[in-house]
Amino acid sequence: MAKLFLGLLTIALLVVDVSAQGPPPPPKAAPPPGWIDPRNPPKEDPSFKAPRTPDGQPRIEGEWAQASDIITYSIEDPELERAEHTAISGQRPMVGRPIIDPIDGKIPYLPWAMKYAAFLHEEHRKPSALKYLDPVSRGFQEGVPRINYQGTFQIQQFPGTVLFTYDYHHTYRVIPLDNRPHVNQNVKLWMGNSRGHWEGDTLVVDVANNNDQTWLQIVGGFHSDAFHVVERWTLTSADHIVYLATVDDAKVYSRPWTLRVDMRRQKVEEQWESAIWEGNKTPEIVAGGDK
Amino acid sequence: MRIRLRDSLVSMLVVVAGLSVAAAQAPAYRAPRTADGKPDLSGIWQAMNTASFDIQAHSASKDVPAGVGVVEGNDIPYQPSALAKKRENFAKRATLDPETKCYLPGVPRIMYMPHPFQIFQKPGQITMLFEYVHATRFIYTNGTKHPEGHIDWWMGDSRGRWEGDTLVVDVVDFNEDTWFDRAGNYHSDELHVVERFTPLDADHITYDVTVEDAKVFSRPWRMSMVLYRNRDKNAQLLEYDCYGFDEAFHAPAQSQ
Repeated sequence: MAKLFLGLLTIALLVVDVSAQGPPPPPKAAPPPGWIDPRNPPKEDPSFKAPRTPDGQPRIEGEWAQASDIITYSIEDPELERAEHTAISGQRPMVGRPIIDPIDGKIPYLPWAMKYAAFLHEEHRKPSALKYLDPVSRGFQEGVPRINYQGTFQIQQFPGTVLFTYDYHHTYRVIPLDNRPHVNQNVKLWMGNSRGHWEGDTLVVDVANNNDQTWLQIVGGFHSDAFHVVERWTLTSADHIVYLATVDDAKVYSRPWTLRVDMRRQKVEEQWESAIWEGNKTPEIVAGGDK
Repeated sequence: MRIRLRDSLVSMLVVVAGLSVAAAQAPAYRAPRTADGKPDLSGIWQAMNTASFDIQAHSASKDVPAGVGVVEGNDIPYQPSALAKKRENFAKRATLDPETKCYLPGVPRIMYMPHPFQIFQKPGQITMLFEYVHATRFIYTNGTKHPEGHIDWWMGDSRGRWEGDTLVVDVVDFNEDTWFDRAGNYHSDELHVVERFTPLDADHITYDVTVEDAKVFSRPWRMSMVLYRNRDKNAQLLEYDCYGFDEAFHAPAQSQ
């Protein structure tokens, strides 16, 4: 399978014309529920003007969590997710559909990548190798945008910097606002390299230097190291953020695509430790036992 | 002319002497302030010593630089049985050191890992972000107390207060699974750490640590070192995601 994958990847690299990739075309038919103009999301509170920090940034500080009923099992097929969770827990979860473009809500894989995604989907319940298991389930960092629909997080603002600290796995992101360039492309990072700026009440963050190891969901949702994300965090009222992430990866996807997550303000609480594999005995067992 | 020169030399000596007295009596350096008037510790910092290998004085060995140690007086007052365990830890450090399993390294060990960390400061809360295993510390300086417990945390619970220009951090609620270094120096879950961060000048912080643990040590003991500001033009935190979960141990976790 690995050889087939590499072969397909090579073919994909040969046939992809990067110059053909452009911004997503506007939807021609009636937009689906949840679709919004990424450049101008409607304000929940039409009279809302974001208060400013002392250095003039729109004040986005506080504790937030997604309110779009997204569970990371599958962002493409919420009915599958519902069935899986119902089978496991007996509880039927709400179904969130974050992908607003393309309008079918699916990740627009290139043909070869579609096959590999289907393979990962088949593997996810009982993977034949650990590399086919969800990287987050293995204790790796989530990557962007997945971390943003994983759980609760806090935003702090400082002159020239926005800081995200996530409850899950003590993940953090330091986002400078001074237009400095990304680090050299040889540097690959689980959480990418974030550079931000404000456009009105929208924090725009460009995330590059991503490695090819993170997934967007438990059932697969892979990408290459060409993965690139532009996030748009728009305050539309005092307690609501529309979060849009436009994702491109010319090696794996046929076109850029966009997901939307609505964030709701939460009561600010202390962030207590969320260790992930510490204390788990699996490493000793798998490694042959050190003790 | 000669007289005037002599006079001015005398005046200079008086001034210098006065400055020296002032330096001995009061902090020679007053740190810039945050909006709420506290010394501003924000920035990217890193220790520049060999404490991560061994907090005590040690000769060089393979891949280990020699070091004069950071423990005051160099001796750590282990109780007799604890000293035996420390020695066993040292002998078996290649497998017993929690660092080899990529666990969160605890406090104070995280402060002198050979990786940078960044301090962000708000009224009521100081956030420390570490490149090493993307560890975080939230130090609450809002007058709150440690939560009820004992809580077994890898990084403990940190509550801070200002004493003049010094940030004093009280840390409890540790588990017994972290070490102080790669040389087997260890503690129990009764570990109590008091850290003192004192700005030395714009680019240096004196970092003093008092350690007590009645199960392991016969009395409290202290470490002291300097934290250095990273002034490189492009200084920023990257990642050192040491991975220790399933099929293999990787340090750092493979990124591609």
